[in-house]
Amino acid sequence: MPEKTLDLIEPETSVKILKLTGQRSLRKRILDMGLTPGTKVEVMRRAPLGDPVEFKIKGYNLSLRKKEAQTVLVETVE
Amino acid sequence: MTKKITVALAGNPNVGKTSVFNAITGSRQHVGNWPGVTVERKMGKRVYKNTEMEIVDLPGTYSLTTYSLDEIIARDFLIEEKPDIVVQVIDATNLERNLYLSTQLMELGVKLVIALNMKDLALAKGNRIDEEKIQEFLDVPVIPTIASKGTGIERLLDAVIEEASKARKNDDPLSYDEATEGMVHELEVILKSDQYFAHYPSRWFSIKLLEGDENIIKKAQESKKYTQIREILRKTDEDNFETKIADQRYSTIQAMLRQVCDINTSQLSGSDMVDRVVTNKLLGIPIFLALMWAAFELTFTFATPFMNMIDIFFGWLAGATAEVISTEWLASLVGDGIIAGIGSVLIFLPNILLLFFMLSLMEDSGYMARAAFIMDRVMGRIGLHGKSFIPLIMGFGCNVPAIMATRTIEDPRDRLITILVAPFISCGARLPVYVLLAGAFFGRDAGIVIFGLYALGILVAVLSAKLMRTTVLRGEDAPFIMELPDYRLPTLKGSFIHMWERAKIYLKKAGGIILIGVVGVWLLASIPAPGSGGVFGSEEIYGSTDSLVGVIGHLIEPLVAPLGFDWRIAVALVFGIVAKEIVVGSMGVLYGAGEDEQNLSNILAAGAMTPLAGLGLMVFTLLYVPCFACIGVIKRETGSWKWTLFQLVYGTGLAWVFAFTLYQIGSRIGFLT
Amino acid sequence: MEQINQNKELLFALLAGVLYSIFGVLHIAEGLSINTGIAEFLFISGDILGGACLVIIGTVFLYGSREMTKGVNAGVSFVYVGILLSLVFMAVYILTMGGNLLDSIIVPDDYEGWSVMENFRPGIYLGILPLMGILYWKNRFSLNEILVVREVA
Repeated sequence: MPEKTLDLIEPETSVKILKLTGQRSLRKRILDMGLTPGTKVEVMRRAPLGDPVEFKIKGYNLSLRKKEAQTVLVETVE
Repeated sequence: MTKKITVALAGNPNVGKTSVFNAITGSRQHVGNWPGVTVERKMGKRVYKNTEMEIVDLPGTYSLTTYSLDEIIARDFLIEEKPDIVVQVIDATNLERNLYLSTQLMELGVKLVIALNMKDLALAKGNRIDEEKIQEFLDVPVIPTIASKGTGIERLLDAVIEEASKARKNDDPLSYDEATEGMVHELEVILKSDQYFAHYPSRWFSIKLLEGDENIIKKAQESKKYTQIREILRKTDEDNFETKIADQRYSTIQAMLRQVCDINTSQLSGSDMVDRVVTNKLLGIPIFLALMWAAFELTFTFATPFMNMIDIFFGWLAGATAEVISTEWLASLVGDGIIAGIGSVLIFLPNILLLFFMLSLMEDSGYMARAAFIMDRVMGRIGLHGKSFIPLIMGFGCNVPAIMATRTIEDPRDRLITILVAPFISCGARLPVYVLLAGAFFGRDAGIVIFGLYALGILVAVLSAKLMRTTVLRGEDAPFIMELPDYRLPTLKGSFIHMWERAKIYLKKAGGIILIGVVGVWLLASIPAPGSGGVFGSEEIYGSTDSLVGVIGHLIEPLVAPLGFDWRIAVALVFGIVAKEIVVGSMGVLYGAGEDEQNLSNILAAGAMTPLAGLGLMVFTLLYVPCFACIGVIKRETGSWKWTLFQLVYGTGLAWVFAFTLYQIGSRIGFLT
Repeated sequence: MEQINQNKELLFALLAGVLYSIFGVLHIAEGLSINTGIAEFLFISGDILGGACLVIIGTVFLYGSREMTKGVNAGVSFVYVGILLSLVFMAVYILTMGGNLLDSIIVPDDYEGWSVMENFRPGIYLGILPLMGILYWKNRFSLNEILVVREVA
């Protein structure tokens, strides 16, 4: 299964988190929001100007800029 | 006898914490600041069953690490001030992420009561929750509440009192894998051997050390045992450790949730349906702009009659007192100084009330997060957060509520920059100045000139923001990690409380500075220049060449002469600091045109100043020192005279440079002379 | 997902969409001093920005009807949001009217020759349609504390 960074995933796709590659403080904040490895993330939509991106995770909606999403390594799931 | 206990209210943002706070304390609340920072500290009192409770509303946080100011405040309060009990408000529609904070609170060893808020909504969403089972698992009281309706609050208070009287609980709500537990144990032994650490819950401190919490490591470095601690920390594969810990916390929560509730995930929720529309690729931005237009219209048209009422009332009051008081200077001080000063504070109140009412509707409904989501790309370009957009737009009406609206921006640096550049957005009070000058000098092209000034204001604001981001307020952009909460119907009561709190802050804190400024200018205009022989406070002296302000005008004339301004303009600009629209009135008096604006316009057009200098004056008016009201709120919101002064010097400097360049180059090439 | 019969919603969206768009365009035309002839009769004053807002609301409805005809069930979201938006604007126009009326009593000099009907805008009387809509579909808007727009079962 191909590994990709989260910012490259098309809307209306579900993925699973593999690893966080950002700096420690960013990584910690992302973890606190529940994006732990193994978590399922649904890419909902991009903002009208293409950035940030909205995700559904653990039953709530979260938005990240592409810059932050780039630090999340994911694999696609069905 | 009444017992006194301190109750801290914790919870994630957007979980109804404020509703719980309002439901418990009613109107007995006061707002202060957390020590050293300008984040609001809300406190309230409630006497219930012989117990006096001091409720402290902690900032909404997702976690208790130290990566945001809010988290540091919450954590420091819990550790340093040791409240008797912590009530965590949990959003029943979003258990998993909310319980993550609970685990951290429990690790911190505080006594916890959980308010399971909005259970009705969870049911509406099709989720089933068994709160008794949660209570069993976590071993803390779990009380369902519907705070917006006041349901469950008494039961919550009962539980608080009961729990507060119990002995302190042990602090290991969840256990980690063996390796971690081993290290936690080793660390705990070291920590317990040093008095330095007695202040902190040792298990929590050990876990934070393992997680690599910078703040905690710094504290540990100051102890004698740090070498021993470092030995153990070296064993951890640092990179993955906090991932491992967060992962284990979430796994424990998930395992519990599987047994206590049944979450419906299949259906498209109402919020998702609304989001499909309001963040739609084509329609999202137009809808946002339309709503902004509506808010703007309402803030400024609906406030007009009330502002006129205040204006008329204070005009009447000033006139009436002037008649009653026979001493001329005293009449002038009371009428033109104090009463006019209070009037200039109160006149903004209708605007502020309306704007904050609408902002709280937007915040409480959940639309604010969407607005930030939509506009973030634009604001991100200049290094700001999406939320900075709304205050800047509001600035077109009045900079005062605009600066207060920056309270919705969490990142302190983003907020500071937004405050500092907001005065460059051309507000309504500057329009009369443009209308007069552009009308006098540019006739049919006045519209284009005025539009150009608005555009210049935006440009200066944007470029200044970018400039500050790369120089004085340099630093990495705050990461954009924002929850898009479910939409909710805001309650009128909640929005009114919110609105009134802000208005109180404006009146109390900014009001004083504004009043002092206005009276100060009155003094300058009323004190006769030494040797002029004028009478203090007399009508002949007020604002004339023989008054102190006249002298100042002459004194600063050399400074503004290169811009094509004479002493009269200098005086008008000084008066303009009271309120920008006064520039026009003062010029009328100084050029001997009286109150009649048409007359003044004719005098100006007949050659009292060149069109080029007129254009320069408009640019100067746009950019220089904002009005006293604005200075007052900048001071209040930044909490610092340094930054207030920075804004004044920066703005006035820019104004001077722009007007200078315009006038000097323009007159050399014969443009508009 | 199987398709749900949404004929009523579709019809409503088309009607509201067309009406709001037309009136919005008329507003803008008047604002650009193009005489349409019927504007005065329908209380349409020149107002470019206000007109643009009506066009936006109209577009929301029309966008929804396009999605519904394509068989996207969630297209109905646009109808609900359109209804909410048009009610917001109706309220804004009514409050503006009230504000100006109050102001004309306080400072009559500024309002010489002004009549309150100058503020009577299509945004107000067009709002009757979404008002009927929200009453008809009120069981889908559960507005207690959270906005739950229930899917048609």
